[in-house]
Amino acid sequence: MTEGLTYVVVALACLLLAGSVYYAVRDRLMDDRLLAVAALLEVGLIILTVFGLSGLGRIEDPTEKATFASYLVSVPLIPIGTSLLTIKEKSRWAMGSMAVGAFAVAVMVARLQQIWNSHG
Amino acid sequence: MADPDRHALGGPGVVLVVAYGVLALAATGRSVLQVLTNYEQAPLAYTLSAVAALVYLLATWCLIRGGRWVRVGTWACTFELAGVLIVGAASYLAPEAFPDKTVWSHLGQGYGFVPLVLPVLGLLWFRKVDRDALARDAQQATQSAAAPDATAG
Repeated sequence: MTEGLTYVVVALACLLLAGSVYYAVRDRLMDDRLLAVAALLEVGLIILTVFGLSGLGRIEDPTEKATFASYLVSVPLIPIGTSLLTIKEKSRWAMGSMAVGAFAVAVMVARLQQIWNSHG
Repeated sequence: MADPDRHALGGPGVVLVVAYGVLALAATGRSVLQVLTNYEQAPLAYTLSAVAALVYLLATWCLIRGGRWVRVGTWACTFELAGVLIVGAASYLAPEAFPDKTVWSHLGQGYGFVPLVLPVLGLLWFRKVDRDALARDAQQATQSAAAPDATAG
């Protein structure tokens, strides 16, 4: 798991978070531009997951390993699930849910990198 | 009219679905792996984590489905609130019983206290959904009472 990719992914998640909050404040619904950011984030997360799973062996502590593996597999599901909900929901809360999802992705990816670094 | 339309997904409910879904996802994957690979190290903590994860999944499902699941969801959220308070307090008072952390340890500190806040929000939301549905029901009842011919056909 390369640190550079983590930075890119966290930056994309923060961009999606900021965009969602802005849209929620302006009472706008999901559009193609923000959906593109979510799609880019998704691509980054999939690459991150492949990288991380291939290097799973170097994490020895079983608890950390369980956290790492489960976060790695579940984090790419978040942008997909939230995007679907956000497209369907036609109120200001839609972008609120996107913001929550983006925030969760940022936190989980940061935690992943933290575990990875502590076993480098 | 026994089962009034309780849509739990619209409005603020969609934010709760995402928050619960993420927590359920994170807690489930982790606890399943812990129970499968490393159960002996902390049986109590891992069993609690697994139970907590399942109830988070249940609550997410109830939020999505609404309807008669609202009552189930209320129980799920109550259980979570009790869990986080009891286990949270116990992990402060008797740390040796919890060699490994659960979602509920230290009032959900490891998850930014989200496990403490979410069940409260969930309960408030389910209560609002329930009240709105009952109010709609009462309104419909008075309407059909005022115009009995319309419903009699």
